[in-house]
Order: sequence, then C-alpha cells, then structure tokens
Amino acid sequence: MNYRFDWSVLWSGQSGAWLLHGVLTTLAMSALAWLLALFLGILAGALRTAPLAPLRALATGYVEFFRNVPLLVWMFFWYFAAPPLLAENLRDWLFDHGAEFWAGTMALGVYHGARFSEMIRAGIQSIPKTQFEAALSTGLSTGQVYRLVVLPIALRLIIPPLTNESLNLLKNSSVALTIGVAELTFQTRQIETYTAKAFEALTAGTLIYLVLCLTIAAVMARVERRFAIPGMIARVGGAER
Amino acid sequence: MKRLLISCLALAAAALSAGAARAETTLEKIARTGTLTIGTRTGSPPFAYVDKQNQWVGFSIDLVEKFIVPALSKKVGKPVKVEKKESTPATRIPLLTSNAVDVIAETMTDTKERRESVDFSLTFFYTGAQFLVKKGSPITGIDTVAGKRVAAQQGATNARILREKVPTVQLREFPDQPAAFQALAQGQVQAYTNDGIQLAGLKAKAPNPNDWAIVGAFYSNEPYGMAMRKNEPDFRNLVNQGLAEAIESGKYFELYEKYFGPKGEVPYPLTSEAKRLLQAAAAEFRKTPGGALGSPGK
Repeated sequence: MNYRFDWSVLWSGQSGAWLLHGVLTTLAMSALAWLLALFLGILAGALRTAPLAPLRALATGYVEFFRNVPLLVWMFFWYFAAPPLLAENLRDWLFDHGAEFWAGTMALGVYHGARFSEMIRAGIQSIPKTQFEAALSTGLSTGQVYRLVVLPIALRLIIPPLTNESLNLLKNSSVALTIGVAELTFQTRQIETYTAKAFEALTAGTLIYLVLCLTIAAVMARVERRFAIPGMIARVGGAER
Repeated sequence: MKRLLISCLALAAAALSAGAARAETTLEKIARTGTLTIGTRTGSPPFAYVDKQNQWVGFSIDLVEKFIVPALSKKVGKPVKVEKKESTPATRIPLLTSNAVDVIAETMTDTKERRESVDFSLTFFYTGAQFLVKKGSPITGIDTVAGKRVAAQQGATNARILREKVPTVQLREFPDQPAAFQALAQGQVQAYTNDGIQLAGLKAKAPNPNDWAIVGAFYSNEPYGMAMRKNEPDFRNLVNQGLAEAIESGKYFELYEKYFGPKGEVPYPLTSEAKRLLQAAAAEFRKTPGGALGSPGK
C-alpha cells in the first residue's frame, strides 16, 4: 500500500467551507422534508382509518403510489418534469432562486410522508377499540377523539419506528445530489474531485452522517422516555428509573 | 486434527511473510501474467465504446493496444494481452491504488492535485472547457455567463475554474452528462460547460445536433493523460515510449483522423497548437527518457 494519507485536505482551501455548507444544506433540507412528511403522514395515516370509503381510498392511493416509486425517479419528476408545466417567467425565477433545493425537499417530504403514514396507521390501529368507544361515551366528537385521545397515544407508540424512518430520511437526502443540490454527499464528492483524496473525503462524510444520526437517535430516545405512557409499554432493560 | 491445525498455521505464516515481502511492481506483474489491465470508460465515444461486435474499441484503447502493448511485450519478452475494466471518474483512482488496474486510459485530465495520488503519462489529447448552448443563445463564451445558470458535471475540473473566473455565475452541478443535458434542454440552465471534446460528443449524439452550438474559446486547459500508480518510472517510461512512438511516426494523427475527423464518430478537428504540443512533448521525452511527464494544466 503506497497511499499517502493527508487529512489536512478536509480543512485546507475551500474544503472546510464546503463541508459546513453541505452539512447545513442537508440539515435544512431534512428538517423541512421531515415536517412535511410528518404532516402528510399524520393526515394520510388518520384518513386510512377514517370511516368514509372515499377518504380511505384517497389516502391509500397516496401511500401505495409513493411507497412503490423509487425516490430517485420521484426527485427527477419534481426537478425535470414538473417545472415545464409552469409559465416561463415563473420557471426562470424559480431556477434562479434555488429550485433544486425545493424540488429535493418536496420529493423527500412527500416520499417519506407515505412511509410515515404506514407507521402512524399501525400505531392508530394498535389502540384497542374499547378505548375509542370509551372516549366517545364521555361526549367527545369523533374528531376530538382522534385529536385528543387516539393520536397522542399513537404518536407515542410510533416513536421507535419514527426514529428509524427519520434517520432514513436524513440519509436519503443525499439522493438530491442527482439534481444538483449541494448537500453533504455532493460536497464530499467535490472535495474528492478537487483533491483526489477519496478516502479522506468519504471518511469525513461518513463520520458526519454518523454523528448526525446518532445525535438524532439520542434525542429521540430521550423523547421516548419523557413521553412514555406509564404501564402501557413493556419496558426493556433499565430505561425506567 | 492436530496435523491439520499445524498445516493451517504454516499456511498462514507463509501468507503473512509473502505479504510482508516487497510488493510486486507493475512491470513484474505484467511479465508474470502476460496481461496489462486497463481501466477505461466505455460510455465516452470515441475514446472508448462498445462496437457492434460487442468489442471495447476507441481512440484510447487503440493507443494502448497498438503502441503501448508492443513496447511492453518487447520489454518483458513475451506477448502481452490487454484486459479491460470499466472505470468512472469516481472509481478510477481507487482502481489504480488497489492494483485492480495498471493504467487508466480514458478522458482523465492531468492535474496537480491528482499527481499527488497517481503519475501521468505524456499528454495524449488536448482539449479545454467551452459551453454548449441552444442555437441562437446570447451566451457566446466565458465573458457572457455572469449571472447565468450554467450546468457542469460533478467532478469536472472546469466547474471550479469557471467559478473562480466568473464568481457571479450560478453553477448547477449534475452527476452525469444526460442529467446536465436534460437540464439544458428544459431550461433549468442556460448553458452547459464541459471539455470541448465531451460537448462535441454530446452534440453528435443529440437527436437534433443542429439545434445546439458549442461556443467560446477554451477557458481552461484539459490535457488528458494516462494515469498509473506512483513511483514506477520503468513502467511509466514504457507507456510514454509507446505514446512518443505513435506521435513521431505520425500514426497518432492517422488514428486521430479516424476517430475525430470529419467522418469519425465525433468530429473534433485537431488544432495546430495541440499538434505542436504533442510533438514537443514527444521530442522532449526522447531527449530525456525517464524525466518527461505530461503537462498539468493547473
């Protein structure tokens, strides 16, 4: 092995600024897409358990479509296929003002919304029917039961799978490099190109993703403990103190 | 059982000591196996592509097979055959450093940074960055791209140069040629910048080649070299000897005409400046064998 390691390429020249910019873009995009995904996920997840058949069909259509289309194809759709439908002036304005970031965020949010909704549905359906009936009998309307009883419990139950899916969302943001979003993977590849130091650049990228994901997982674990419903979930290990 | 264990240990010890011994040089490997392994990119006609008989052919492959292989065969005293592997901009340096290939023969620009990781042969092709635009576009060269949205290929050195020369340009970098071209065709960007030869190839393959124009003078030098592992001067000399031979005999220019001439796969006329540089480098190599390298553009 005659490879010479040179870690300084990661902060010399423009590399440090690129990496920082990449991390910020990845975080901004993931956070916005996460909010969108959570909104769509709750909406579709709740609708899939709704009593009205057309509403269920609408939500099922959304989920089945996006669960089964590759994210890459969907991202290309937002960037390459959707804009020609717009007026030319508007399109030019969009392309001058970060259209690729928004296309990537939309694609990521809508795609993961479908996946979120499946978990939320599972969470809602794991709540005993009797609990729903008990809430109705106290005089709450169906909407209020969902808002005040069912969703709060369901959301607590789905924290672990949601953590998993949120981490997937963060990692999937790297697909946006295909439409030219300068996120973290894009920047590590840029450093690799300009310095020919593939090992160093990719190691840095990997470590940053790892730190981001571990941080999110740690925060979610705290949230899970904080909002745990006493007596409802079987505790494993020493989590309950 | 005990005997088995002992023989296993002995085998492991032998493997370890073999690993600790001096690594085999590329030339020794070629002498032993009779094979030169090259990394090339078949999606870059006319440098390398797959022909109707399903063979990997092209300008850079011809240079290796017709000129470098004879030089190697003569040196190792037996026929050397060429094994081809697919390489991409992202994989080519790792392919070399992991010994998976011996030479990268594709459209790889010889740069100072890359020379930290690999060695380059004499330059075998001269090109430079230009712009591809829709015919009739107001963009006519680097002086006219300020504030405009310009696509570039991720990993292309010219994106950086363009950003340095025109800081207000809005660069959009795409992972591959088709995505960049798509963005240009649909108006996401107003121009696409890459090496002139790459743009010529793209234009030649486009459904309506006459809808597109390649504009502007070269704003960067992109000399293509063949890359090899570092610190193997004997091997590098043989590669350079093959290339110098091709240029001095004039056969290089015949090959050039075949692949890039008016009737070639991608028309791209040889400039007199490129011809002069190629001949000067070959002559320089002849004067100081062992010393001469290509010429990094930046």
